[in-house]
Amino acid sequence: MREPSHARQMVGSLLVAAAIVAIVIVVVTLELGPTSVAELEAEEERRDARIERAEERRELQEERRDR
Amino acid sequence: MFFGSLSPLDHPRDCRSFPFALEDLVEELTRGNVTEVKVVLASVVAALAVYQVLLMAVGYGKLRPPFLGAAPASAAHRALGDAIVVVTLAVAFMCLTYFGFDEGESVLHAVTGFLLLAVLAVKIAVVRWWHGMSRFLPVLGICVLLLFAVTWASSAGDFLIGGPE
Repeated sequence: MREPSHARQMVGSLLVAAAIVAIVIVVVTLELGPTSVAELEAEEERRDARIERAEERRELQEERRDR
Repeated sequence: MFFGSLSPLDHPRDCRSFPFALEDLVEELTRGNVTEVKVVLASVVAALAVYQVLLMAVGYGKLRPPFLGAAPASAAHRALGDAIVVVTLAVAFMCLTYFGFDEGESVLHAVTGFLLLAVLAVKIAVVRWWHGMSRFLPVLGICVLLLFAVTWASSAGDFLIGGPE
């Protein structure tokens, strides 16, 4: 009867550790916010794509006007 | 475990002391968020270090919660300790390969980081082989906690509180 209790207590201790890990990841990630390099790069890529699409549209309009 | 500046935008390549291939590997693994991943991992191990001290306080009988015995607390401490060492080594690898050494305010961080690894190595040796020195384990454990705290505060904590400056 001692063994299951020991195992259960140990698993419980490890689950508490897992909860600590999850909480720290959430809190630190929230604190870091959208400053990550990946996020900034993605934002820049989206902006570039928008500018590119706008330029393409402008070129198409100019082509149509020329015809 | 963070040697050098933690700002992702302030990262002079010429200060790095390791081959670029390793830096690229670290950058690839973290998808460009080396600093952020390091801060998260370091914060996780720092928090777990505090929990480890609590577990060993139960293991040594200094704390006696009704829901946790000394033997399971010690076993959990040992299992968790192995995981912490692996993550700590990963963070140290990222620090050394990506940030390298930087003179100035990161000296304290570098010194405490190396001391932390050294004390961890001694602690592991005592636990596994040098059983005659087991009486020093509580002191070594407290040293590890303090070194984790100072190493985290001098880099990740600084980054979280002060921002990427």
